[in-house]
Amino acid sequence: MMKTLSPKLLLVLSGLLSAAAFAAEDINETMDAAADGTVSISNVAGEVEVQGWSRKQVEITGELGSDVDELIFERDGNEILIKVKVPRHHGRRIASGLIVKVPEASSLEINTVSADIEVDNVTGEQDLESVSGDIETDAHAKDIDVSSVSGDVVIVGDRKPMRSRLNSVSGDIEAESLAGEIEAESVSGDVEIVDGSFTRAAAHSVNGEIVFHAELLDNGRLDVETINGEVDIKFAGDISARFDIETFNGEIRNCFGPESERTSRYAPGRELMFSEGDGSGRVTIQTLNGDIRLCND
Amino acid sequence: MNDTDDSNFDDLMTAAADLATEVKPGRDLWPGIEQAIIKPVRPARTMWNTVWAQAAAVLILVGGSSGITYLAVTDGADVTTPVAGGPTLVFESASGSFGSQYNLGPDYLDAQRDLAGRLDDELDHLTPDVREAVVTNIAAIRTAIAEINLALAEDPDNVLLQELLLSTYREELTLMKQVNGFNLSAMRRDDI
Repeated sequence: MMKTLSPKLLLVLSGLLSAAAFAAEDINETMDAAADGTVSISNVAGEVEVQGWSRKQVEITGELGSDVDELIFERDGNEILIKVKVPRHHGRRIASGLIVKVPEASSLEINTVSADIEVDNVTGEQDLESVSGDIETDAHAKDIDVSSVSGDVVIVGDRKPMRSRLNSVSGDIEAESLAGEIEAESVSGDVEIVDGSFTRAAAHSVNGEIVFHAELLDNGRLDVETINGEVDIKFAGDISARFDIETFNGEIRNCFGPESERTSRYAPGRELMFSEGDGSGRVTIQTLNGDIRLCND
Repeated sequence: MNDTDDSNFDDLMTAAADLATEVKPGRDLWPGIEQAIIKPVRPARTMWNTVWAQAAAVLILVGGSSGITYLAVTDGADVTTPVAGGPTLVFESASGSFGSQYNLGPDYLDAQRDLAGRLDDELDHLTPDVREAVVTNIAAIRTAIAEINLALAEDPDNVLLQELLLSTYREELTLMKQVNGFNLSAMRRDDI
């Protein structure tokens, strides 16, 4: 007579089989790379963590989701390509966590959908895009271009001149200690630019608040525009600029002295025009409904 | 009165009768007078800033609408054709108006419709929370556009409003392009 397996044992066995089937796959691969080449990374879900190191190699560690087709890891000249390939009609287990070590002077091109992106100690140019993942990176004198739809964006620089383009739809943008030129744009997220030093800065928002607590250098230009968001400007150090500030339906509070004036007897608009220092720079602020605060340290 | 006086009086009357009864001008003045009558009276310009405002508005209109249309058309050229058959999220079409007096023109509206059509398709590939974020923010932009247009209806020559409106239209196109671009770069690669 054939013995039947007990229900408990069946449950344990099926659990083990399912765990084996759904287990994430560990990865650990290394490839030689150019010292200042380009590393492109594409990962739909999970996380991408990139660290710069002194070796002329790219190393990938981490885990691939069980529904992932394969990890593509190729070199073409000075370019390294890393892609997490998923089926077109994929399941939920495609989330992959990649830890990628790259030569520190590498340039980066990273695209994700929901995967977060974190970059540390990479000194080349960076082009980072995510749909819903958060993006966090540090910048080192090379241009940086960051875009997100609903994820937050955090960039920390070392006050060396560079060009930054930061874009978000509903996520917040936080730029700290950057220098040179910056352009930050959001629809409903807040834009915060702090502790930087700029020759040119532009911040635009529809409903988000805009904060600029940084230095505007001589002959520098600051353009701020928002529809409904508030604007909070506080200049670090001396400021020499001509100011042209206008709001259709907001209030203007100015620490520099001159009071704003009504633009019309019949409309609610206010404007404020004045010069500070030798007036070499130019500050333009425009809002529809947002209040404007203008001050210095 | 004696005969001598009568004779002098008659001579004077005869001389007076010989005088011309009307004085002809050196040139024909009628064309100028006629032009002045036909030409409508122009109101006195008491506010120079109105002139500048109108000039600026025209510049903004022409340059701006061309710019944002170019922006939409050029970068969007390589976007794939929307997949037919999928469920469609239909956005309420924006008016494309530019204050109470102007329109942004057919090129802009074509570009906007094109991008909005692609976006409807691309949204299907997004997770519900991201889709909601995109839809909510496009709605916020269009609310802002409507609000500025409302203000412009009251104050059509307001340069601030013109600039904010143009910028907000640009924001709308940028957002649509951005979402389309994301899907292309991250989700629709041939090898994924």
